[in-house]
Amino acid sequence: MTTGILLHRRLGHTYAGQVAISALCGLSLLGAAAGLALSWRDSLPDPVATHWSGGGGPDGFMSLGAFVTALVVTGVLLVALFSAIGVFGGRTASARRLSVGLNVWIGGFLGTVLTGSLWAQRGLADAAQALTPGWVLVAAVVGPGVLALVAAMLVPADPRQPATGPVVSGAGRADLAPGERAAWIGRSTVARTAVVIEVAVVLATLAAAVLSRTWVLLGVSVLVVLLTLTIAAVTVRVDASGLTVRSALGLPRTHIPADEVVRASVATVNPLGDFGGWGWRVAVDGSGRTGMVLRRGEALVVERTAGRTFVVTVGGAAEAAALLTTMAERARQEEG
Amino acid sequence: MFRIDPSSDEPLFEQLVAQVRVGVAKGHLAHGERLPAARELAEALDVNVHTVLKAYQVLRDEGLVDLRRGRGTVVTGRTEQDLSAVERAMAELIRAARAAHLSPDATATLVKEAMR
Repeated sequence: MTTGILLHRRLGHTYAGQVAISALCGLSLLGAAAGLALSWRDSLPDPVATHWSGGGGPDGFMSLGAFVTALVVTGVLLVALFSAIGVFGGRTASARRLSVGLNVWIGGFLGTVLTGSLWAQRGLADAAQALTPGWVLVAAVVGPGVLALVAAMLVPADPRQPATGPVVSGAGRADLAPGERAAWIGRSTVARTAVVIEVAVVLATLAAAVLSRTWVLLGVSVLVVLLTLTIAAVTVRVDASGLTVRSALGLPRTHIPADEVVRASVATVNPLGDFGGWGWRVAVDGSGRTGMVLRRGEALVVERTAGRTFVVTVGGAAEAAALLTTMAERARQEEG
Repeated sequence: MFRIDPSSDEPLFEQLVAQVRVGVAKGHLAHGERLPAARELAEALDVNVHTVLKAYQVLRDEGLVDLRRGRGTVVTGRTEQDLSAVERAMAELIRAARAAHLSPDATATLVKEAMR
């Protein structure tokens, strides 16, 4: 606890520091679970059961050391990947929250899988007698999920950073009379290619889970399905307050205040090439651009104060960019 | 894009209705396209949600949109007809109206009454 507070004082005020703390938290959860599992060494059968399928007994076995090592190595690799997202793409709070949440979640998930499946095997002479620990997977997804949400919420939101300079022209302006109100609302749905690929990924993961008897993979397919649902459709809205992008499910959502808009323009986006896939993304080129990338083609690009750039794929982006430019200028006039 | 001019004499809901009519007539709003949810549009334009609902109801009564619970407001009107004759005549009308110092609202009212 004290260590945590000290860490927070030292690191919590930098973006990379926040990510580092979450990586340490995730790895500590996993490390503690590994320690606990190894401390049960004398009361556990050898080999231990590591996989169950259907309602029957276990059908996958490993030595305790190999099981712990496999999960710890998986955890370290994933934490490294998630941390990279936060460190290189973490200019916005949303990207850091994603990175921090995933770091904590994966540590807790793998730790719960490890200890949960071994707990029931203590005192058994033969691992084949181990009961199906059906609750473990649920506990492993949900419990750390709650921790991850808390951790993500602890990441401070971006401070308000109104622009000091004028709006840079990117896509013309909307011709509004003084006092006239306007709103642009568009919808974007995820590309069919993405849906096909994600269904294929889920099926492949399920097949891999069954064939390799690595039932941790089932958690991955659950995660993929959940992520696909959150990005099925988004609403893109430009009004006097700025830009609001919201998933049909309500979350994820983001808002860019009009007075933080430096430039709004249109670009052509390739989800795989530019962002490495579909959904709530951080650009693969290390530029720190974040985006809601659902399909190839037209996208609204919003350059924001503090070097942040947000991209959302939507049809009619030129009109949206023009209105956002006008609203950004109005916001400057109100302040000036 | 939807716009509202609170300083205009035209009621707010009527302003929205007019924009959808024009959008459908000019083909900017395609058959089957979904209009924004009433609450969302009301919030974005900072008007009462009943204003938007009233506009959508008028549009439904005119057969331009279909209101379906859970599926939103869908454009059902179509235009494939050529509006160039109307546009030519309108250019003439606008020139004459400006010469007579008629405001856009007054001109629109005259046209509306003449078409009754």
